[in-house]
This record gives sequence, C-alpha cells and structure tokens, in this order.
Amino acid sequence: MAKLNDILSPFTAWKHVVREPVTIKDPLNREAADRYRGFHKNDISECIGCGTCESICQNAAIDLVPVDGVETKDGDSGLRPRVDYGRCCWCGLCVDVCTTNSLSLSNEYTWVDEDPDNFRFVPGAENKSWDSREKGYKKPGNGYELYNPKREAMEELEPEKRDQSFIEIVQGYSKEQAEQEADRCVECGICVATCPAHMGIPEYIKAIRNDDLNEGLRVLYDTNPLPEICGRICTHKCETVCSVGHHGDPLSIRWLKRYIADQNPAEEYKKILNTENLQPTGKKVAIIGSGPSGLSAAHYLALMGYQCTIYEKLPAAGGMMRFGIPEYRLPYDQLDKDINYILSLGVEIKYNVTIGKDITLEELHNQYDAVFSGTGLHMGRSTRVPGTDHPKVYQAVDLLRDIVLGKEIPLEENIVVIGGGNVAMDITRSLARLQKQKYGKVGVLATSLESEDIMPADREEVIEAREENAVIDPGWGPVEIETEGDKVKGLHVVKCLSVFDENRRFAPKFDEEQKKFFPADMVVESIGQGMDLSYLPEAFKEQLDMDQRGRILVNDDFQTSAGWLFAGGDIIQGPDVIHGIANGHKAAMGIDKYLSEK
Amino acid sequence: MSKKLLKWNEDRTLFPEKNSEGKIDVDYDSHKFMKIWHGPQHPGITGNMSLELTLLGDEVMDCETHVGYLHRGFEKLMERRKYIQCFPIVCRVAVPEPDFNEYCFASAMEELAGIEVPEAAEWLRTLVLEMSRLQSFLAWMGGQAGSLGQGIIGQWTIYLRDLILDRFEELTGGRIYHMYMLPGGVRGLLPDGFRQRMTENLDEIDRFMKDVKKVMFDNAVFKKRTVGMGVIDPAWIHPFGITGPNARAAGVAKDVRKDNPYLKYPELDFEPVVGKDSDIYTRADVRRRDLLMTVDLIRQIMAKIPDKGDIRAKTPNVLHWKVPAGETYSRAECTRGEYGYYMVSDGTEYPRRINVRGPSYTHAVALLEKMIVNANIADVAGLMVSLHTYPPEIER
Amino acid sequence: MQTIIENLQKHFQVVSYHQQRENLGFLIASKEVAVGLITHLRDYEGFAHLVLLTAVDWIEDEHFQLTYLLHHPEKKVDLGVRVMISRENAEMYSIHHLWEQARTYQRELREMFGINFPGSPDVDKPFILEGWEEIPPYRRDFDTKEYSEKTYFPRPGRETHDPAEYMKKKLYPNE
Repeated sequence: MAKLNDILSPFTAWKHVVREPVTIKDPLNREAADRYRGFHKNDISECIGCGTCESICQNAAIDLVPVDGVETKDGDSGLRPRVDYGRCCWCGLCVDVCTTNSLSLSNEYTWVDEDPDNFRFVPGAENKSWDSREKGYKKPGNGYELYNPKREAMEELEPEKRDQSFIEIVQGYSKEQAEQEADRCVECGICVATCPAHMGIPEYIKAIRNDDLNEGLRVLYDTNPLPEICGRICTHKCETVCSVGHHGDPLSIRWLKRYIADQNPAEEYKKILNTENLQPTGKKVAIIGSGPSGLSAAHYLALMGYQCTIYEKLPAAGGMMRFGIPEYRLPYDQLDKDINYILSLGVEIKYNVTIGKDITLEELHNQYDAVFSGTGLHMGRSTRVPGTDHPKVYQAVDLLRDIVLGKEIPLEENIVVIGGGNVAMDITRSLARLQKQKYGKVGVLATSLESEDIMPADREEVIEAREENAVIDPGWGPVEIETEGDKVKGLHVVKCLSVFDENRRFAPKFDEEQKKFFPADMVVESIGQGMDLSYLPEAFKEQLDMDQRGRILVNDDFQTSAGWLFAGGDIIQGPDVIHGIANGHKAAMGIDKYLSEK
Repeated sequence: MSKKLLKWNEDRTLFPEKNSEGKIDVDYDSHKFMKIWHGPQHPGITGNMSLELTLLGDEVMDCETHVGYLHRGFEKLMERRKYIQCFPIVCRVAVPEPDFNEYCFASAMEELAGIEVPEAAEWLRTLVLEMSRLQSFLAWMGGQAGSLGQGIIGQWTIYLRDLILDRFEELTGGRIYHMYMLPGGVRGLLPDGFRQRMTENLDEIDRFMKDVKKVMFDNAVFKKRTVGMGVIDPAWIHPFGITGPNARAAGVAKDVRKDNPYLKYPELDFEPVVGKDSDIYTRADVRRRDLLMTVDLIRQIMAKIPDKGDIRAKTPNVLHWKVPAGETYSRAECTRGEYGYYMVSDGTEYPRRINVRGPSYTHAVALLEKMIVNANIADVAGLMVSLHTYPPEIER
Repeated sequence: MQTIIENLQKHFQVVSYHQQRENLGFLIASKEVAVGLITHLRDYEGFAHLVLLTAVDWIEDEHFQLTYLLHHPEKKVDLGVRVMISRENAEMYSIHHLWEQARTYQRELREMFGINFPGSPDVDKPFILEGWEEIPPYRRDFDTKEYSEKTYFPRPGRETHDPAEYMKKKLYPNE
C-alpha cells in the first residue's frame, strides 16, 4: 500500500499547472529595496575630498581626482572620489566611513553601456539617472559609527578652584585619553594646509596611537619648535577644518600636541631630536625680539649651524607668550621648557636691550651677517571715544605685562573691559582672579562690538570666563566713558547691529535708540594692538618697501627689500603664535639661502 | 555492514580482484577501464569542482577529487588587509551561505578585542543566520532533486529562495552577499513591514514544503534511487570529521547551536533533527526537517527580536583597529555542518592568519573519495549533492 | 577543562597553557611529543573530532606554528595543540593514520606553506595550485601584490591624489 502511495503522490505536482505564475512581469524595471546598495551618489558640495572612502576601500576602487568647478581651499582638497566599477564590490563601507555624509548608494542597479571606461566616473560630478533617487543605502543610525565622533573630554580645574589662582586650568590628557582621542583621527591630512606651520598633524597623532612619543616629538619639531606652548594656546585653525568635525567633534589636535610635549622630559630632547652635535657654519645672525617668530627663527638657524643672538627689550624671553598670555593658560615652567631647549642649542639672549636705544640697527647690521626682526604688536589701540585719555582708562596689554613683571596694577571693584578677542578675555579673567583675591568677589564685565556668535575670542574662553563669574555682554558699541574728576563713572554704549559690510569690510552699524550704561570705576581697552617700529631709523625706513598702512613688505623668504634684514611674526602676519612660528621657520630658511648665496 | 554502500553490480566475477590495499589494480591497456572527468562544468557537480573517475563498465573504480577552480587565496589576501577591509571579502568564501563567514569572522574578532555586541544586533545576527540556512537548504533541495531527475522541485524551491532573498535585500541591502554583520554589530534594524512580509513568505514555504514532501519524498523513483544508497557508517563520523546533517542522519546529534550555543540560540526552543539510516534518503529527509525547523526558528526569532536599540558596539576607529594579540576559534552551525574561523592576531592592524574551516573540506574530499568507489556513474551526482558540499570553502 | 589539562600534565610536558574562553584552550607541545599527545587526547581523553589543522608563519621567529584544533564531542570543549617547527626544511610527523581528512590538510600545508609530512599519502601531489613555480604562497615572504603586479596588468587610466600632498601643491607649493 505504501508503495502505491509513493507512485500516486508525485502526481499532486499537477495541481500547480493551474497556479498563477510567480515570475516578475517586468524584471528589467523592478525597483530594488529601499536599502539596496546600488550605484554611488555624492553630494559634491558637501564632500571635502578627505579621501577616507579611498583608504577604507579594500578593492582600491576609488581614486581622488580634481573636478572642474571644485576649488582647493582651506578644509577642502578640491578632489572628489571617482569610482571604478570594475573593482567596486558594493560593500558600502565608503558610505559608512564618509566624514561628511555626502556619499551614499542609490538603489539603482541596472546600467548598460558599451564603453567599459564609462564605468569609471565621479559620482555627483557626472550626471547619472539615479542622482535624484531618494532610495538607497545611507549610513545607518542607531549607534552605528565606524569611528568615534565624540571628543575625549578634557579634565579641567573646576571654576570654584581656579577663579582665585593662576594655576593652569586644563589638566592635559592621560595616556589612555590621548590614545582614545588619537584613535578618532582618519588621517586625511586636510588640516595640514590650514595650519600656518603646516605641521605633520596626522603623523604625530599616529605616533600617539603607536605610543611612540619620541617619534611624535620629532614630527613636532620638524615644523614647530614651541610645542608645549602651541599645545596650550595655539589658535588651532586645524581643528576648524578637521574632517571628523563635519559630523561630530573635531579632533583635539592642540591637546594631543601638548600631550606629546608634556610626556617627553626636557633632559632627553637633545637625544631624541638628535641635536647633540650641530655643525657650526661660523656665520652670525641677530634676532630682535624673543617672541614666537624670533625663537622659531633662532631654533632653525641654530640647527643649520648659525650662531644666533636674540636681543630682548624685557627681562625675560617669550614676548607676548609670556607677557600677554596669563599663567593659567600657559604656565611659565612650560614656556621655559621650550625656550630653554632652544637656548641649549647655543642660542644666546641679551635681555633688557632696546634696539635704537642701547644698540642701533646699524650696529647689528655691521656685527652680524643677517638680522631677523620679530618685534610683534605691543602697543594697545584705543577706541578714542571721549574719556579714553582719563588716567583710569588702561590698555590690556600694558596691564597683562605688568602682572607678569610682578608690578602692582590698579584694581577697582567694578571694571569694564572693551573688546571681544582673546586678549580681552585674558585681561578679563586675570582681573577677575585678582579681584577675587583682593575683594573676595568678581566685578568685571567685558563688552564687544561683535555679537556673541561672531566674537573673535575662542568659544571656550567665553564660557570659562562666565564660569569664573565675569560678565560677558557682547554686541555693544562704546560711545563715551563718563568721568568725574579723577574718577571713572562708567561706559555708555549703543546696540551694534552689524560689524562688517557685505564686502567683509569693517563698517559697524548702530541702533542709537538702544542704549546701555555699564557703571565702572575703571575701564580697560582691549580692541587690538599696533606695532612700534621706532627702532628703524627714519632714513632707513624711507628706503624700505612698506605698504600704505606702514607694514614692512617681505618676499616669500620673509626678506625685506634691505636684503640683510628679515622680518616675521605679528608685524608681518597673524597675529598669533603659530603664524609667528611659521614665519620664523621660513625666514630661517630664507636667511640660510641668502647667506649661502652671498 | 548489512547495507550496501551504493548500488553496485552484484555479479563481482566481472571485476578484477582487490589488491592488498583493498583497491583494484587499474590497467588501462586492458581497454576495460575508462577515465572520465565529471566536472568542473557539470550540472551534477556542486560548484566548480571536478572528479576524475576511473570506470569499469558503469561502475566507479577510483576517484580523485580536483579542487582549485575557485581558489582566490582569501586567507592570504586577508593578511594584507586591515580587519575592516576583510569584512567585505569574507562573505565570498562560501557563495551560497555567506553570512556564516561574516558571523564567524566578526565574532572571532570581537572575542579577541573584547567587544560585546548590543542585544538588538545579536538578535538580528541570529535572524540572518537562520535566513541564510533557510535559503541554502532551499537551493540544496532543488539540487538534490535535480540530480536525480526531478526538475520541478528546483523550480519551486528556487522561487521560495528568491522570496528569502527579497527579505535579505530589504534587511541588508544585498541579495547574495549581504555584508551585514560588521565587526561590532550589524548594519540596520528591521525595515517597516518586514515582519508581515516575512510571515507571508514563511507561510508560502510551509505550503510548498507539503507539496515537496509529496512529490519528492513520497516518490517511488526517488526512494528507489536513494533508500539504502550512499550510507555513512556512524563509525566514520569522527575519523572523517563529519558534521551537520551528514552526521545527524547517522544518528549523531551534533549541532553547534546546541553543543556550543552562540548568539540567541539558548533563548530559542529547538532540538537537533536526527535520522538513523544514514543513506541519501535519510540525509535528504533530515535536511527537509531541518529546513522546517529553521522556518519555525525564524518565527520564534521574529516574535522576540526588538525593533529598536543600538546596532553596533563602540569600537576603535576601524581605519586603524589593532586587535590585541591572541588566537581563537569561532564556529557556527551552517546547513552543511560546522563552519568556523581560526583567527590569529599579532596585535597589529592586520590579521596574522585567518583559517576558514568549511564543512565541505572533509565531506567533499576524503569522505567523497571513499564513498564513491563502486558507485554507479548515474548515482555520482546524487551522492555528491547528498553530502551538500561547496567547493569554494575547500580551496578558499 | 582544567581537569583535562591536569590529567595531561601527568603524561606529557604541557607548556604555556592558555585558556582563551570557557570551552577553548591552547597549549604548546614540542614537535617530538605532539603526535603522541594528540593520539592520547583522541584515544584516552575523548577529543575525537579534528576540527582543523593549519599553520601560522612566524617568519620573524623563524618558525611555523602548526595548530591542531581538537574537539571533545561529549564535553563540548576544544583544545588547540600548537607545535612550533623550524621554517628551515619544515617537516612534521603525519597524523593521517588518526583522521582520514588529515591527509588533505597535510597536502594543503605542503603546497601552501612548504611543510612536509613524510608518509602522508599523496602529500606531494598538487592540491589547489597547478604548475606553481614560486615559493609556497601562504608563506609570509610571498608577496601577493608583487606577484599580481608581475602576472597581471591593470587597466590604464587610473590615477589618484593624496589630499594633503595635493593641497600643498595647490595652496603652498613653495613652502
């Protein structure tokens, strides 16, 4: 019986004869699923050509190529990915790792073409029928990240602990934190162009990952002889273009640099950097000013064997780094660590020497083979509103310098600071500390022309100043400082509507109706600094090429028209430390070129 | 052994006597023997593999397997790729069941790196592995029926497999190579409406499997060609390294999902499917019941799988992920048996060595060479498919 | 697992046992005792299933590591026996008499790593490769990229740019 069933049972297959066919009627136009990984799309206005897609592609299917209409600029390489479909395996890792989320895959999967070379194309730049398709594979959400978009938090001194003292606020990364942070780097190198010194940022971050901090230090010193300093107070323009920052926090490049410098002991620098035996050339260079550009020039000249002498007006080296930046941001021992290393290379400093007074420029010219000037901006600018000539109206740079020199500075219970840059924040926070020490409470207010969103100061400076109980009230234009005899009553301001015109030129607009009065016993101006070139003899100045605004003109080697005189730092470019360092480095190479050809 | 190994000619006087090694001396000059190549292009061959057969009459006297037609050197390629870059290529080791490569690779790496995968991702991985088993069984079923002349079964099961591929397409973005189980997690939650469509597909598969049972299994022809044929002696299980349905059909309840539970299997209700006669028919029937069990498991998973939650653990940046030095072995139960990855890391960004253990490695070479002797040439295809082998995982 | 190892230590010198996870451990055995140890594990301890046999090339240390991964079907545990053999004239005793599939593994290791297993059937027969003239390809010193560049040719027309280099060329070529 079982046998009979086995013969009859297969005939049940016949019932399928009358069944509806299950085949797809039009298979060529079947739309793929929403998540299907089909041909690439790229929003090339979002894409920055960081090349992370290329580095993750295991098939080497992606090339980065220049594209018409896309310009190379800060934060954008001007390159765009070109996909070779002869190699692509549609894994979509390029989409997952894309730092800007510009890359995606459409759900189109049919494309017929007779020319195989057409299957290499730049998505987004060459129009394809699927460019407008919404559906397709995008980077998944729900905690799906191929690298950590969140920055490793930096330990800081709590506001209550820091507002009375000048102890350094930022504690620095631990080894584990630094390695975690370094791990986030995608090694695209977009930041290098933006850094004025073009530091090897991806390389030194890699050295942290590999826990090879000696190598990290070598990378730092290739382009920057002040890493402890830059690791603390650099304006970190690199972080503003960091590709990881497009969807997440940019890398803490500055803190990582500091980590490398902090971890290498000063005594070992010469061994690590292989600078124990330098070959002297017998030529001498004089350097005016021991700020970042002067120190940088001295460092690279010393490496090339030049005998450098720095002439410094003040009793200590560092320029603005020492006399402009408060100790809680840049402790003196760290400053000295960088400077002492440079001095250990045979660089000499003569303190308390003012050029033009104690020794003339002409004398330097005669005694040395070349002269580098990096005298910086040390003269505070004034708003010149009525009342600014009152004795209780001060310049921020003067006060900051006096604090460092240990002089007693005038300190009232209510102070108004005019200015919204980093120097304004420095003086505000320094005054707040001193007030807290003297009066037990803080009574300082800073106001700036720029509104909160366009204030030139670093964001964290503003936040930290507020944490320390300073009042920051931006967006006001000063009108008059009210005075009464030898006393200051306060500052009258009107609302500032905009600072720049449509051509990005300085042309503030005010609403005269919206007024405010900031009562104060003392006013500090901090709206910028000017240069003092009085050490240049008038007759010499007339021969020198200068622009209409009185700036010295230099060529690519930072050489002035005088030939033997080079100049750099804030008087040429900036103002900031990193431009000074870059200028000093280039000037050192320029001087070497000049003296070799001479 | 009471049962015949395979169908053979009862009249042994026609054949030369065996030598001391239990083989016959092949003398081609006698013009009695013939050498034929079965594959690599042959519909009865599972994938790109060939059998060099020595025949006497229509009976196989000797067989030598030849692999290497699909050798791409994956294990070597992975040594010069970063871990994340291995992810898109591992699935290609076994074409019809790619997900086991993804899972074993990811889990070995996660174990060495000490990473815990989120709950939702664990469930999704379990689902994908079972879906993969289901479509692999369906494809195999068409092959087994086809190798014995039943074309219709293949048409049905390939249609059913396509339904599962549709679900794969929705969930993972790919039909064949899913590239879904990234080290650290998976690449997407269930899409809207997925459960509904999956349920409909499973019902359709249930319906069709009833017909498959009637047409393929309750079939006098199929029985005649498979019952008592190609018996694997239970005593061979360990000496030959036999795993999966091939072992279970011989009554040995080996199932990695039970023996060394992984993912969410401990939370699912199932018992390994076992047979006892160990012939081609039993193996086919074990696979049919295993297929139905997989359908049931997918229903269980669908009832428990979360709709929300993180799908990937926090991992180091994949662009320079250094896996701590060490070695491990990660295994899973695929439709053909034990699938595993042996991974050695030297602490760099690149794997030191990865060795893929595919079940076909033992089934398609040593075991097949033994079983095929004295088979009728007409039964070679059916026998080979009944071992359910995929050459690419042999040569990798 | 611990009791198995303790048992084993009574008979063999077990070096650097490492418990990778609850049900997986690795130990090192010397070349001379390895086959005896494996036989003992199979016949007396119940590690009846040979999961895999493979090699790792530690070229820096000038040796190959052979890994015999054994599975215990009742206790559901795995034990990896690691054997270090010299890379020079690499040779190991065969285990083809213990497991039928071992001959396949040994044939593959002979071909891919150049490790000889005297006495293993067909060990010198090509397994996957045919007409291979280079050094055994799974050795670390065989460079797949170099081989493929020598053997195949790329389709012309590919060029790429490094973003940082390209930006330097465009934005500050003289610095």
